[in-house]
Amino acid sequence: MIQYIGKRLLSALPVLWGVTTLVFLAIHLVPGDPAEVILAQSGGSSEALEQLRARLGLDAPLLVQYVRFLSNTLRGDLGRSLFTNRPVVQTIGEQLPHTVQLALAAMAVAIVVGGALGSAAAIKRGSWLDNLCMTLAVVGVSTPVFWSALLFILLFTTTLHWLPATGQGSLRHLIMPALVLGLASSGTIARLVRSSLLEVLSQEYITVARSKGLSERTLLLRHALRNALIPTITVIGLQFSFLLGGAVVTETVFSRQGMGRLIVDAILWKDFPVIQGVVLLSAVLYTLVNLAVDISYAFLDPRIRHE
Amino acid sequence: MRFKNIVFSAIGLGLSLLLTACPAQPAISPATPAAPTAGGKLIYGLTLAPSGIDPHVNASSELGIPLTSVYDTLVYQTADGDFVPGLATEWEISDNGLVYTFHLRQDVTFHDGTPFNAEAVKFNLNRIADPETKSQKAALMLGPYDHCDVVDEYTVKVFFREPYAPFLDSLSQVYLGMASPTALEKWGADYQMHQVGTGPFMFKEYVPQDHLTLVRNPDYNWAPAIFNHQGPAYLDEIEFRFFVDPATRALALEAGEAHVIGEIPPQDAARLEDNPAFKIVAVPIPGQPLQAFLNTTKSPTDDLRVRQALLYATDREAIVQAIFREYSPVAWGPLSAVTWGYNEAVVGQYKYDPARARELLDEAGWQDTDGDGIREKDGQRLVVAAYLMSWGYIPEVATLLQSQWKEVGVDVRSQQVAYPAALEAARLGKHNLILFNLAGSDPDLLRGFFHSEANFNWAKVNDPQLDALLEEGARLRDQAERQAIYADIQEKIMEQALIIPLRDYVNLNGVSAQVQDLRYDAQGWFPWLYDVWLSRSGD
Repeated sequence: MIQYIGKRLLSALPVLWGVTTLVFLAIHLVPGDPAEVILAQSGGSSEALEQLRARLGLDAPLLVQYVRFLSNTLRGDLGRSLFTNRPVVQTIGEQLPHTVQLALAAMAVAIVVGGALGSAAAIKRGSWLDNLCMTLAVVGVSTPVFWSALLFILLFTTTLHWLPATGQGSLRHLIMPALVLGLASSGTIARLVRSSLLEVLSQEYITVARSKGLSERTLLLRHALRNALIPTITVIGLQFSFLLGGAVVTETVFSRQGMGRLIVDAILWKDFPVIQGVVLLSAVLYTLVNLAVDISYAFLDPRIRHE
Repeated sequence: MRFKNIVFSAIGLGLSLLLTACPAQPAISPATPAAPTAGGKLIYGLTLAPSGIDPHVNASSELGIPLTSVYDTLVYQTADGDFVPGLATEWEISDNGLVYTFHLRQDVTFHDGTPFNAEAVKFNLNRIADPETKSQKAALMLGPYDHCDVVDEYTVKVFFREPYAPFLDSLSQVYLGMASPTALEKWGADYQMHQVGTGPFMFKEYVPQDHLTLVRNPDYNWAPAIFNHQGPAYLDEIEFRFFVDPATRALALEAGEAHVIGEIPPQDAARLEDNPAFKIVAVPIPGQPLQAFLNTTKSPTDDLRVRQALLYATDREAIVQAIFREYSPVAWGPLSAVTWGYNEAVVGQYKYDPARARELLDEAGWQDTDGDGIREKDGQRLVVAAYLMSWGYIPEVATLLQSQWKEVGVDVRSQQVAYPAALEAARLGKHNLILFNLAGSDPDLLRGFFHSEANFNWAKVNDPQLDALLEEGARLRDQAERQAIYADIQEKIMEQALIIPLRDYVNLNGVSAQVQDLRYDAQGWFPWLYDVWLSRSGD
């Protein structure tokens, strides 16, 4: 197993190199100059622009900038933000925990709500409950986060005075953002749980188990749900990147700290070092989540474990 | 089953109790008690997380909102554009305009105990001018700064390579605020997280994207006469928080999550004004109005008649009414009406007159020959390329321009692009039209946009006469002479139809009725929180 994990991690290295190189090229090819963005806040002559570009190291040829970036990255130095002049590693370190917290809370909401809706729909297939659950799932998938966020604020803050609209620091601050983000993702999970559970329930071994006289409860929990989980887990892994993306909007609407706001600002202002740092980190996270998904298969399915 | 029913009814009952128990609005009396009371914590909402908050290094206007309370400046600027003593009690300017001599207050200490004196002024100005500081704004505001001489402990001379009229204006802003030399040396590149000034509030902590906290400076006893009181500030603490999404700003105010939030969307401002628990403090911002720069080197806007036609075809009142409501005045020239040096002669020029616009386009040879509603000349359609940034209602304004200009046979092809891409397109001259505005209290800011060698010469104007006037305006000492020059410059810009002014920028601050004596500085952006106090709800 350890050998397997080691091999997987090694094979991730070229992926990370490829992603960072592509991003480096992409952000330098897109029109726009950070020095110009900085100066637009105060006017200035073309001479001032040249001076600022030199001070920020933007006047060097692209290849030189690339080699500089690569060698610094290998030494663990992601550089300093062009705008704040603070180390990128520190900036990301401050924001990452907030986004991970939000994404995990939203994931929990998505799994609980999506799992419950999906199972209920599958067990009562064809009934009004099935229709209701699947309608809710479609509503969840198709409601944009920025809109549902405003509706939640109007209900829970403006009307009911139950929850704070903005900020962070306590569990109460986390509830609305986690619900908004989690519900958006729960629809996908609900539909998937329903279809894979239906497929499993039609298998012969379920009929055998049922004919042995097992209770529906045992049948569902021990035999059906566990097998239905394998495709679901893959999607949950994929949903994690959706949640990270959704966190961008959620963090903005609820005025929360986090990676989402960091990356949006960095792209808007062309803050090269921050963009590169965040993309590198996302690639690492994504690789790790995928690895975790693959490893979890082995625990769920003995056939994979024995191979 | 019965148990379930009981639980549900209990929850229902609880819900309805909660609903009736919550008052719709916190009870706040709008009546203002006469005497200020000390104490309390003010929560002030900022609209974007500033990218870096060292005033000597960074350029965002958002950083000045909190830090204006941390730093004192050598001089202060009144709303009329006069300069009054701050940390400097008096000053003289040499006849050639190259040397400024400042006499400093002798009773001032920084928050860390470092005495404020001539050495401190020299240290600050040199730090700003040092290329290693990578200053994005303050260094430009220093202009042709040469060096500083300490005459005695409380007298300092500042030397310039060339006369530089906007210097006092620069000195009155937080970007040239006086920071503790001890703290600057101690923290180096990390100074922005540990700022130390001489102001009425002390920097406590900054958590990027979450909050920035200031606490009262108990030793503050050198308030400039421009303020209402002396001694320490009234508020114990100020917490600045970030409300990036315009849609949630008014909601957050109504939920009591902040006392003040800037840049309230106009439709929400109207709603807040109907609520006695809030007021709207609308602050006009000096500098440029929102305006469309017209590229004079790219067809069809290279023809003066076409540019003038676009001005006549623009119904500014309708645009302002539809988007900015009654809060924003219509703009007529390259400076907003509250800017020092504003020339009233521009008012009413190019008033909405679609008939005149059609005449001018006819004269310029643009005719609708194929009956599709859009004019042509030599097989070319009359199309204007617009580059739009996504903020400040620019896309909405462009939509209205498009429909108004269609009436006279002009087609607008607009592209909404990221900010850096818009700036690049404008530099390369790919645009006919780009919308932008920059705030600033000295009219010298026009030099950055209309001088032939300016970085942001988006009208692509190359007029030696205009260049000379702009250079002269930056050098002249005499205020009356300067005013005459800028009056001339404004008329020239409008004569050549280099821009379409649209609306004067007004910052709509949503303010809780509890907040008393909130005023803003001459820049319009920066609050003077030293005099602010909170009336207790129910008073």
